[in-house]
Amino acid sequence: MAPYTDREILELVRMVDLETLDVRTTTLGINLLDCADPDLESTCEKIYAKVVHHASKLIETANSVAADYGVPIVNKRIAVTPISLVAAACGADNLVPIARAMDAAAKEVGVDFIAGFTAYVHKGFTRADEALFNSIPEALDVTDHVCSSVSLASTKAGINMDATRRFAQIVLETAHRTADRGGLGACKLVCFSNVVEDNPFVAGAHMGIGEAETVLSVGVSGPGVVRAALARLSPDDDLTAVAETIKRTSFKITRIGELIGRETARRLNTIFGIVDVSLAPTPAPGDSVADILELIGVDVTGAPGTTAALALLTDAVKKGGLMASSSVGGLSGAFIPVSEDQGMIEAVRKGALSLAKLEAMTTVCSVGLDMVAVPGDIPEDILMGIIADEMAVGMVNSKTTACRIIPVPGLGPGDTVEWGGLLGTGIVQDPGRFGCANLLRRGGRIPAPMQGFRN
Amino acid sequence: MTRRFLTAEDVRRLIQGGGGGELVVDAETVVTPQALEVANAAGVKINSGAGGAWQVPQPDRGPDAARAMKTLSRLPEPEAGAGDGTGVILTVIGKNRLGVLAEITAFLAKSGCNIHKVSQEIVEGYFHLILTVELDGTTSFESLKSGIECLGGEDDFVARVMHERVFRFMHRV
Repeated sequence: MAPYTDREILELVRMVDLETLDVRTTTLGINLLDCADPDLESTCEKIYAKVVHHASKLIETANSVAADYGVPIVNKRIAVTPISLVAAACGADNLVPIARAMDAAAKEVGVDFIAGFTAYVHKGFTRADEALFNSIPEALDVTDHVCSSVSLASTKAGINMDATRRFAQIVLETAHRTADRGGLGACKLVCFSNVVEDNPFVAGAHMGIGEAETVLSVGVSGPGVVRAALARLSPDDDLTAVAETIKRTSFKITRIGELIGRETARRLNTIFGIVDVSLAPTPAPGDSVADILELIGVDVTGAPGTTAALALLTDAVKKGGLMASSSVGGLSGAFIPVSEDQGMIEAVRKGALSLAKLEAMTTVCSVGLDMVAVPGDIPEDILMGIIADEMAVGMVNSKTTACRIIPVPGLGPGDTVEWGGLLGTGIVQDPGRFGCANLLRRGGRIPAPMQGFRN
Repeated sequence: MTRRFLTAEDVRRLIQGGGGGELVVDAETVVTPQALEVANAAGVKINSGAGGAWQVPQPDRGPDAARAMKTLSRLPEPEAGAGDGTGVILTVIGKNRLGVLAEITAFLAKSGCNIHKVSQEIVEGYFHLILTVELDGTTSFESLKSGIECLGGEDDFVARVMHERVFRFMHRV
């Protein structure tokens, strides 16, 4: 048996006990294409039966792996095939019954979320995509565990601006339907440019069409561990030392994900998909990406230098992860969900982190505008413009970008909303007074950029 | 490919078509709860093509799963050493008192654990103990873990038991 030094042993114990190292999620992807049926009711029946059949042991298995290896697995989730594909055969206009079936299955097996109430519309709508879009506000209102995502753009396809406009309307409608909960419905709704088909993190998780029957993926996190490692550096160490420290830490975190992923997949008798190594903050003290940026050297997150620091962070996380596992995938990098990160909440409160700066940061982070609160009465064209800009960032840079914006009904810039739990505290950002009504009116598609033609 | 699902609608259709008192599906078919309900209400038995009454099958994880089970165990592990899979690392932190090490090691001996390495320090009245042990094969990891974690207590000491494999993955290439 390989001997370990006390230092090595205590390092891991410290990471778990004091620095909130955890496996953020084990997500079982379940392919639902075989649930397609000409009858809506039968489609729902099959979806419920298949999800429960495949996921009934997920919680028990994840808990046993966590107990054996001593690393907490915080969330257990399910990702399914985009529902618009599964529902296409039934021809129904209202797909809320499917969302209810997914919700019931999630409750039955005990997972936190089931994601995949999804449509790919980056080039255009089918009747089923249209039905899914129209069903989103009610689906997210009446269910507790269902998450929804849509693909609006890609480097290969360009941006579907008609879909972007429709998505902005859906976000507003969803937020207003859940006005009594601070627009909570919109927290479970996200759009993508260059959507990732094996992402285990909600709200955007789903199971792409190239995936196998069932796939187990894990998302590892650990901003607290990276933060603690950087805190041990001297302020005089240069940025190469900073990058090296982050890379080494990311390597270690990812190795834990690799181990837990292999073992959980083996026990579930399924394929091990990917390890998504993403620094995903939580509202818990110390579990913050903003704190890391400030340790790298910016006064407050959002100050000049933030984008550069975030670029270093995202890249170093990816590099450490890639060395640690041959299965790195998903979004992998650093998330910047504003309301979920204590340091970012503080930065917004201080007036340091504006919507414009957040957009700049999304050019180098691994996702996009995430958990950003805006006034509930935001005009449709301004909301659409924000989303379209974010989609353009992803399209041109050949990277994944996402938008999870929550118009909070009844609140204006500077007001605070508590969503509770992991979703944290939103401070409403000021989206400005100027919109893009004519861009919205024109509609159509922004053609794919040069970068898309690499055939 | 086998029949994937049997839904309530399928059962109704078969009953209407004069399907009689028995319905035969593939052993791997997933019969929905609603289909079972309709069949029960109509007194229709659902039998498996493999013979006997249909029973909930093991989930069919698809054609890749069997291959994955073979390859997964063959993926290289970090720096494999002797005794893999039987190593356990025990860390204990608590208030120092007489006989605490004896108490823990006596339990380990009783559980059939061979101690490879001991490291203990006392800092300001608290002891930190790290033990590297190997299971002899008669005790399972789970029972050792639950046994050790029952020792001590909030005011005494807290023990943590972790698989050696976690440390190997994190600290070895």
